[in-house]
Amino acid sequence: MVGLSIGEQHFVKGGIAQDLRTDGRKRLTYRPIYVETGVIPQANGSARVRIGGTDVIASVKAEIGRPSSLQPDKGKVAVFIDCSPTAEPTFGGRGGEELSSELALALQRCLLGGKSGAGAGINLSSLLIKEGKVCWDLYIDGLVISSDGNLLDALGAAIKAALTNTAIPKVQVSAEVADDEQPEIDISDEEYQQFDTSSVPVIVTLTKVGAHYIVDATTEEESQMSSAVSISVNRVGHICGLTKRGGCGLDPSVILDMISVAKHVSESLMNKLDSEISAAEACEDES
Amino acid sequence: MASKPGAATSTYSPKIVARTRPPIFKDSDLDWTRPDGRGFHQCRPALLQTGAVSSASGSAYAEFGNTKVIVSVFGPRESKKAMVYSDVGRLNCNVSYTTFASPSAGQGTDHKEYSSMLHKALEGVIMTETFPKTTVDVFALVLESGGSDLPVVISCASLALVDAGIMMYDLITAVSVSCIGKSLMIDPVTEEEGCEDGSFTMTCMPSRYEITQLTITGEWTTPNINEAMQLCLDACSKLGEIMRDCLKQAASASDE
Repeated sequence: MVGLSIGEQHFVKGGIAQDLRTDGRKRLTYRPIYVETGVIPQANGSARVRIGGTDVIASVKAEIGRPSSLQPDKGKVAVFIDCSPTAEPTFGGRGGEELSSELALALQRCLLGGKSGAGAGINLSSLLIKEGKVCWDLYIDGLVISSDGNLLDALGAAIKAALTNTAIPKVQVSAEVADDEQPEIDISDEEYQQFDTSSVPVIVTLTKVGAHYIVDATTEEESQMSSAVSISVNRVGHICGLTKRGGCGLDPSVILDMISVAKHVSESLMNKLDSEISAAEACEDES
Repeated sequence: MASKPGAATSTYSPKIVARTRPPIFKDSDLDWTRPDGRGFHQCRPALLQTGAVSSASGSAYAEFGNTKVIVSVFGPRESKKAMVYSDVGRLNCNVSYTTFASPSAGQGTDHKEYSSMLHKALEGVIMTETFPKTTVDVFALVLESGGSDLPVVISCASLALVDAGIMMYDLITAVSVSCIGKSLMIDPVTEEEGCEDGSFTMTCMPSRYEITQLTITGEWTTPNINEAMQLCLDACSKLGEIMRDCLKQAASASDE
């Protein structure tokens, strides 16, 4: 837990005001990002992402399920986040639960897009096997192993990497069934299909400390924040979701400014992440 | 809870922004009308009343079209013994739906996060340092869900807090905008929310001109965000005036 003295608080704030943060970064510089894929053998896809002291794992499991009656032409995706008390003592009990559900909600918001499916990172229709009968249910689980700020960006990156790593078995459906029966399905052991993850957005969190805002805040810096805005941006530069944290109000023009900065930052983050993911995939294939 | 005589419904539609560019798509998006026959930038009539529940410290009832919401505020009361000492007050928010609020049987699933979203929208405006060691409860009940439920709950909760005499920096107003195809429509109803491509919900303090809470889902381009923000800001300030009028009326009625 961060208990900063008044002197330390001034040091953190003063550094941000002068564009030289405590760890030597500029306001809009990320810490180095490391990606490892295929870390969990039991899952269909998994990835571990480290950004500085923040360490998260995301896993994707796929299960055969039934589409909901409201959306018979779509598969289902559920996002769960677990903030383990091993990462930080404050995550134990209700504090962790609240944070977990907040993170899960924000991730769901930026992965699944609007009600009609516009702007979704995962195309739900691609999870359908037979309309109204069989579909894939994707369970995306995130685990926070160690927390040093900027959890949402790290989890977003981990989920993107895990989805790239995901391989779902090909399924054959017996063609002729009566309307009220479940069709027989045959899950292939050899043939797998991969996801197209190019439309999965990255999340950029801008944390406002004093009069300035920074990306990739550490826990120390987050303790000094007045508010934070998490913006998810996809490859074509469209905004796919936005959440604000922190009670302080923001001027509308500041938010619009943050959105344009986030769009700019997201381009380099997206490229960096893509190269890290492909390097991790290549590394996994070799071993 | 019956309407008091003279409680006129008023609306808070933003002024239509004069477009500098002519719309590129003329026929394809504008050939359909909204389910209740409103214009795209026209809000539903708003009816607001304070003092709906006599046993609460403060309460308010809001009716925006078919969306009917009642919010009661209890406290400040002593925080539970198990809670550690805090020199600022706590806020406890809960949003619930009646079983007959929506046409589908049973409880909807996507309302669980509303409680925390209401909390986040309110925590920034309440002067929590004015009631240390105590808790204020805000309970919202959606009697009928007719779309844009959360913004109505938030606006209604701010009225109820004022009615309870909780110190605040400003009123809180919330408005949402739906994006369907190329068109933006303010204050969507349930049918529109069901088929929207994106939604934009903004909570702001109209007098201080600050945004306290903003959530965006779906895919948005920057010009669309700018337009939606302008629409919401304008509608929020107008809704703020309506709420102020409602409070003034209630105050003058109690003086007599």
